[in-house]
Amino acid sequence: MTLIEGQTGIAEFTANELYARILDNEAIFILDVRNEDEFKRSPIEGQSNLTAVNIPYFEFLEDEDGSVARVPADREIMVVCAKEGSSQYVAELLAGHGYNARYLQGGFTSWGNFYDVRDVVNAAWGRIVQIARPARGDLSFAVISDGKMALIDPMRHTEVYLNLAAEAGATMTHLLDTHVHADHISGGPALATITGATYYVHAYDAIHPIDMLPATIAYTSLEDGQQFQVGQTTITVAWFPGHTLGQVNYRLDTPDGRSALFTGDGIFLRSFGRPDLGGKGEAWTPILYRSLTERLPKIVNDDTLILPAHFSTLDEGNAEGIFAAPYSEVRAHNDALKPRSEEEFTAYVLSHLPVFPPEYVEIKRVNIGLVEACDGKANELELGKNICALAG
Amino acid sequence: MANSFDQTLDVKGAKCPMPLVKSRKAIADLTVGQVLKVVATDRGSVADFQGWAKTAKNVELVAQETEQEGGQDLYVHYLKRTS
Repeated sequence: MTLIEGQTGIAEFTANELYARILDNEAIFILDVRNEDEFKRSPIEGQSNLTAVNIPYFEFLEDEDGSVARVPADREIMVVCAKEGSSQYVAELLAGHGYNARYLQGGFTSWGNFYDVRDVVNAAWGRIVQIARPARGDLSFAVISDGKMALIDPMRHTEVYLNLAAEAGATMTHLLDTHVHADHISGGPALATITGATYYVHAYDAIHPIDMLPATIAYTSLEDGQQFQVGQTTITVAWFPGHTLGQVNYRLDTPDGRSALFTGDGIFLRSFGRPDLGGKGEAWTPILYRSLTERLPKIVNDDTLILPAHFSTLDEGNAEGIFAAPYSEVRAHNDALKPRSEEEFTAYVLSHLPVFPPEYVEIKRVNIGLVEACDGKANELELGKNICALAG
Repeated sequence: MANSFDQTLDVKGAKCPMPLVKSRKAIADLTVGQVLKVVATDRGSVADFQGWAKTAKNVELVAQETEQEGGQDLYVHYLKRTS
């Protein structure tokens, strides 16, 4: 067969459509035609009705009939590759064999860079909006009240947040990172440049923990207990060292008497942030223990809504794709939070550390301005899902 | 030491899957034992050519190199036709 670029009759599908179908747990068959290493490193994950099979596109070139025979003929095939071209090629080839096949517009890159925006709370005082990157398991949040907007852990694609501000008719006032991230590139410094809002991070995180070099980005340091007014709400900084030395939680208090805690990589819904990504796991684990046992009880009550910076699996969220739960529920279902002595805790942490992705050292450099990353490099650094939690 | 080769294929600027599709065709025009040098700009070609050489029955990946040309990275693959 020949490939006539741009003249295919094969239909595309978007990352947006894919995510909607995953949330509905529809039956989905993903044919991933990337090479085996890429597939293993960053598969498309969904719920129980998603099946993903890896047959690299060059296997279709070498053995067309044999490869086609491995694809089920009785259902829709959603073909995925790295950047689009090969999935289009394979979808067209499958169509030639009578298959119902479509390919992912923009390839895996567009899935990795897909953002899902939805309200967590919509009340008289304003809104909490969740801005998620489902493929990465990354979560960021906006607090909007009386035309003001604070962002917690905004990510690299600034237009998502600028669009949200425009749609809400709000002005960005506070860009609040819970810590300097290792798994993804922050949008905070760039949004500060664009909007003039202040970018905040704790000074302890403005030194690269492995290079021992100071940040070159412009930031304003946070203090434990410091407060910000955002419209009718109050945000209080709670230092929470352990995942990083400068990790903070942000507690939100709203006029209706409710509270929420943006935990960053402090606690997650089913785990908590690993203390070894600064390369100092043995020194930071006891610090994390004190944050979890002494600091956390002072900043939450049972009804406080926990809003973390990551999830590891989609089933941590509800059917609408909201990744938030009251603290009473988190405490009941988060095995990582069960009471332990310091010795037991240390043993638990050390026996549950996942691999240390080498690119995480470089991402921290980007986040404090020690190196620059163009879009292509950023896409590579951010490929795949975060590994910030302890292993389950 | 520089790698020796018999034919060169320039696929600079070509996007996946074209570097591999064209290389496959060019290999078929070689005689057994000859080496094709493929010059690509697609970074993804590095892993893909490794995977392809394992899959294909008549191709051996002899070497891979990265070069610089005018500020742009070039990914060079040396492929031998084995049967």
